[in-house]
Amino acid sequence: MTRADHRRVLLWRLAILAALLVAWEWLTGIKAISRTPGLYWIDPFFISRPSAILARFAYLASGQVRLTIWQMALSTVQSTLWGFLVGVSTGFAAGLVLGRHERLARVFEPYIVAFNSLPRIALVPLITMIFGFGVLAKIVLAWTIVFFIVFFNTFQGARSVDADLIHSARFLGASDRQVMRTVIVPSALAWTFASLTPSISFALIGVVVGEFLGGESGGGLGYLIIQSLGTLNAADMMVALISLGVIGIVMALAIKQLEMRLLRWRPEYRGRA
Amino acid sequence: MSERRPRIVIRDLAKTFREGGREVAAVQDVSVTIREQEFVAIVGPSGCGKSTILNMIGGLVAPSAGTVEIDGVRVAGRVPGNVGYVFQKDTVFAWRTVARNIAIGLEYRGVARTEQARRVRDAIALAGLEGFEEAFPATLSGGMRQRVALMRTLVVEPEILLMDEPFGALDTHTKLDLHAELLALWEARHQTVVFVTHDLSEAITLADRIVVMTRRPGRVKLVHDVALPRPRDVIKLRETDDYAHEYGRIWHVLGEEFAGRA
Repeated sequence: MTRADHRRVLLWRLAILAALLVAWEWLTGIKAISRTPGLYWIDPFFISRPSAILARFAYLASGQVRLTIWQMALSTVQSTLWGFLVGVSTGFAAGLVLGRHERLARVFEPYIVAFNSLPRIALVPLITMIFGFGVLAKIVLAWTIVFFIVFFNTFQGARSVDADLIHSARFLGASDRQVMRTVIVPSALAWTFASLTPSISFALIGVVVGEFLGGESGGGLGYLIIQSLGTLNAADMMVALISLGVIGIVMALAIKQLEMRLLRWRPEYRGRA
Repeated sequence: MSERRPRIVIRDLAKTFREGGREVAAVQDVSVTIREQEFVAIVGPSGCGKSTILNMIGGLVAPSAGTVEIDGVRVAGRVPGNVGYVFQKDTVFAWRTVARNIAIGLEYRGVARTEQARRVRDAIALAGLEGFEEAFPATLSGGMRQRVALMRTLVVEPEILLMDEPFGALDTHTKLDLHAELLALWEARHQTVVFVTHDLSEAITLADRIVVMTRRPGRVKLVHDVALPRPRDVIKLRETDDYAHEYGRIWHVLGEEFAGRA
């Protein structure tokens, strides 16, 4: 793609965004048919309006509130990253171990399948009961989701390592540990990385769901959403949703960057890192 | 030649595989002695078990009957220490650069960094891979990748080299280049080589002795000494009458197997 093409695409994207915002502001502002108060083309009670959202954002970002939007966003981001890190590392380790031990994998298979088919949302009350209304419950919830995504991918990757690669390492003098470090881990990593982008999104889902129930002590944007539901405040809800969207995009992009750096040996990433 | 000590002794080797509940004999009654510094090629129609024999020498496959001894020690389900193995399949590590691929055997053995760098540099020069040290295998041609695999094996200086159709996937021109390189490297070190191939001209070009296998189940059909002087020029060799003579003799025997009149 040429530079000019790039610019044109970007321009179109911005134009659409502007058009949407203007339409949103305008359609929620004009009264429909009669002059009866409260009757709009589109009722801002439900979806608010850009100007109102901006105003609420400024208010929530100011020092006038007990819990600022920044503190809530930070809490959500921190919990997501913790859940992600713990989930990825434990999922990766478990995937490697079970991927390389046929019998162990067969023993654990029904338990893993059973736990994984349990809808994770159903666990929220139990996790909250065990870990309390704090940050920990959110992290644990994110972990239970991320763990399985990473586990299954790594497991598959560790199992599908080409036997001849392992043989050739052995002929070059590798010990078991060296085979693990120089052949199995790098081969499996390519599979693991494929699971990181969905993992970070699911970690965020887990954290927000945890925050729905977690109350103020857990904080976070999920708490803001639930609080806004209580007060029927669409503007605050929109502030939380847009913040979550931005957080999700930034985190997914960061993962993509990391992936491109670490997998630069793969032809599909060449020249892009 | 005969006064050289035997390095690989294969006695009454047999292998049967289970295939869909049936026992299928892949290799039967194979007895060959390979002496020090000897370059032996095993040729035969595909499915004759020649790769299986190599895998049994390398300890990757356990024999159903018979034994393989390397330097008087029986190979039993373990990779022998001083043996290098070059696979037909691309086994270069895709996640390591050319230089780091060639260094890996030295890394496994705990060779000092500076020594590693020196030996890798030499190997890269020898294989004509200068300028590709930092390239990842995905950017290389098949011939270059196989050069990396070969140098990676040779850099740890194995005394015995097992090669399973290492040039099978390459085009004729690249193949000839690699034959010349392999012969030059072998002339310098005289490793004991067992080279499996289905390409008769390749076997004649490279080997001192050719073991011709029958169709499945593979038995030794003929052991032929190649009476061609060394050092050999891989291109000119093929124009000589001696080459044509050797080729004709073995081709006749091999032809019986290809034609299915075993």
